[in-house]
Amino acid sequence: MATEPIIDKSFLEKLERLTIHWRKSFPGLVGGHNRSRFPGPGQEFLDHRHFHHGDDLRAVNWLAYLRLEKLFLKMFQVEPRVPVRLMLDISQSMAAGGVAKFDYARRLAAALCYIGLVRLDTITVFPFTDRLGDPFMCCGGRHRLAPTVDYLTALTPSGRTSYMQVVRQFVSANSQRGLLIILSDFLDEEDCARPLQFLADYGHELLLIHLWAEEDRTPPWDGDLELIDAETDAKLEIAFGPDARTAYTEAFDDWARSLQEAVVRKGGRYVGLSTSMAIEDAVFGPLARSRGIE
Amino acid sequence: MFLLNLSLAEFLALASAASALVVALYLLDRTRRRQTVGTLRFWNVAEKIAEMKHRRRIQQPWSLILQILGILLLLAALAQLRWGSPEGASRDHVILLDTSAWMAARGRTGTLMDEAQAAALAYLRAMPASDRAMIVRADAIALPATRFESNRAALEEAVRQTRPGSAALSLDEAIRFGLQAQRLEGRSAGEIVYAGAGRIPKQDAAAPVSAARLRVLPIGEPADNCGLRRISLRRSHADPAVWEIFVAVRNYGRTPRQVPLALTFGNAPIGADRLSLAPGEEAGATFRYRTRAAGWLEARLLIQDALAEDNRALLEVPAQPAVRVQVYSDQPNLLRPVLSANPNVAAVFASPGAYSPKNEARIVVLDRFRPVSLPDADTIWIEPPGPEGTPASPFVVRATVKGTQLERWHPENVLGAGLRTRDLKLDSTQVFTAAPGDLPIADCAAGPVILARPGKRKSVAFGFHPGRTAMRFELATPLVFANVLRWMAPEVFRRWEMNGGSVGTLTTPLEAGADPAAIQVLAAGDRPLPFTIQDNSLRFFTASPGTVRVLAGDRETVYSLTLPEVAETRWEPPSQTLRGVPPPAGTGPASRDLWQALALAGAAGLFAEWMLFGRGLAPRRKAA
Repeated sequence: MATEPIIDKSFLEKLERLTIHWRKSFPGLVGGHNRSRFPGPGQEFLDHRHFHHGDDLRAVNWLAYLRLEKLFLKMFQVEPRVPVRLMLDISQSMAAGGVAKFDYARRLAAALCYIGLVRLDTITVFPFTDRLGDPFMCCGGRHRLAPTVDYLTALTPSGRTSYMQVVRQFVSANSQRGLLIILSDFLDEEDCARPLQFLADYGHELLLIHLWAEEDRTPPWDGDLELIDAETDAKLEIAFGPDARTAYTEAFDDWARSLQEAVVRKGGRYVGLSTSMAIEDAVFGPLARSRGIE
Repeated sequence: MFLLNLSLAEFLALASAASALVVALYLLDRTRRRQTVGTLRFWNVAEKIAEMKHRRRIQQPWSLILQILGILLLLAALAQLRWGSPEGASRDHVILLDTSAWMAARGRTGTLMDEAQAAALAYLRAMPASDRAMIVRADAIALPATRFESNRAALEEAVRQTRPGSAALSLDEAIRFGLQAQRLEGRSAGEIVYAGAGRIPKQDAAAPVSAARLRVLPIGEPADNCGLRRISLRRSHADPAVWEIFVAVRNYGRTPRQVPLALTFGNAPIGADRLSLAPGEEAGATFRYRTRAAGWLEARLLIQDALAEDNRALLEVPAQPAVRVQVYSDQPNLLRPVLSANPNVAAVFASPGAYSPKNEARIVVLDRFRPVSLPDADTIWIEPPGPEGTPASPFVVRATVKGTQLERWHPENVLGAGLRTRDLKLDSTQVFTAAPGDLPIADCAAGPVILARPGKRKSVAFGFHPGRTAMRFELATPLVFANVLRWMAPEVFRRWEMNGGSVGTLTTPLEAGADPAAIQVLAAGDRPLPFTIQDNSLRFFTASPGTVRVLAGDRETVYSLTLPEVAETRWEPPSQTLRGVPPPAGTGPASRDLWQALALAGAAGLFAEWMLFGRGLAPRRKAA
């Protein structure tokens, strides 16, 4: 496990101007955007403005009227209620060949949580392998980042991935639709496209963040190899060389492309990130370009 | 075709080791590496291509063959594989040209040196054109006349310039020198060629002389030679005016000979003898000759033989010095016995009234009187006038005591060495006050009674007259005068010994208790020579003829090293030694070096393997 902080202060300061965005309108909720300081019926005071004809008299500030003999109307901020959920893959494949990919995922998750905390959004983190783990609710403002970081730091990679089981479990436990961010390498022995399509069909807006290490896409090894699957312990003996490497990379790219097409077709977004890219570059680069955060 | 740097066995051993290493590395390179990956999904896609590649590399052993071939070619280049026969390779020969004294002997055609030079020149002309040679002049020590040289003209000139020396041959040292020169040069070693008569000292004959590539160019051996081995002179102990002369002669030939020996001193014959010598026998003759004069003593063998240089020896005989002692005394008979005991002392007696400060005497004895002007010589004062005297002596008389006993001699200085008396009572004696630097010789209870004063002019004062007191009966009386005379004129008592001999290592016995710090070995011009002392024998070495003096205390031995050192033993080469001048080598091309082509071919093979089998082309990626 990483002993150093998974996210540093200077990076947090840069994240404060970002907001998590979704595009879909969810029934019964404020939709289309998620500006949390939108004026309207709410509980927390936002500002004053001059009273206009037709305004609700219950919102007039009568104490101000007694002092100034002018009518001012109190405005309250709207609390968005679109649930934002973050599914974090903690299977053994995330730690294959080292924990670089798993650490990267945790740092990216922490960054997304902090963006939500700054905007007073509530983000629920679901760690998963072949089943959905206990959720962790991340809310209450920027000062509540520490528990989130502690939670993410305590996570350890283990087990194998089964998207079908996880999706079933997720849908049965979370009936309210919302934005669903999935941070994973999507390396499932079964096809993960179908469960993801099922989530989209159920009404969730998907934001897939596909992580891979460079060795996942372009293995650096040469010669005779005995390969062991990190999740299933299956073995494969192979003599690997430049030609095989090219074929491997092409297969990986084809699979990633098919995953992207499947998600985009259902109105979701796909962001592919290599762990060789700095997290800051990833957030302000591919993630921002996908308009998942702005 | 042959290997220059390695033997075939060494080459094969190295080639086997290198091949085994390459095969091991080849197999190690193909050992499966365990690697944990996130999924096997995409590896299955690459497996078909990878498997085809794997099979191709196993079925194509050209990678391994090219690697092994390249390394073997490089190894052959390192071993300097050459095309041709080993005899055709360029080699370095060392020609040991004997320059010992015996090489001056006359042979059948000229001197032995002429024959050795002719043989050496013949060998040089028979050498292959690509070979090099070094000319070494060998006698007691081996000195290179040239470096390894392929210029035949320079080599032949060095051979022609070689002359016989005076020392005997040390063949073993010369061969060692040649081997070391070949080893240091680091090229292909050729032959060690010895051209000479092979006369070596007897003590060297036991030492084995061996070299794997030794060739001997034999020359003729003269049948007859007799020569002076040694001549020595020394003064007779009984009569210092007589020289005792000893001459040793040796017959080096194979037939008995009658050898007439004649001695002359200043061209005047002083003795003759006829020696009968069996083959290899050494005999001596002794002569006595009385003279105190200096001159040249010559010993000559009146014969005609192969080596004329050892038939004549010349020694410079020094004059026998005598010290003159002038005695001023009213009672000369009291001092006459002690001064006439030494034949090298010439004492002249006179009364004090005849005193003259200018005289030829080396030492002046003033018996109980003090002259107005002091003599310009070393002085012995006997009962010098005290303070009441006019004028006073240089020695301060503190008191005059009567009836005292001589209590102590001072053996710690040379003047009191060996002196002893027992219950010697002096009726009357002066007691001196010693000045700084004075050496007391004898003391009574009141102080010193015999005192010596060093300086430019040495002086000794006796507080009593040895001839007027009870000391005249003591043995210490002549001894103390002898000590005083030795201290004032040491050359008078020096013992001379002259030796005529040969250059080389000389050993001379030392007297028991000789102080090594006081020993000097001086060559011509008083140039010090290094020497060693072992078992009370002094040993030194000189390679050039001349005179060497050995000074040890009062003994001086002069070595006149003018006789040639003729070795008495003929060296027999081992049976496997090559003999004679080889047939002239052909002028065809020598063996050709292939290492450049082999190195290029090896490098090309390894490069081709690197290019053909892909690992050189694909950029290497570091394993995680």
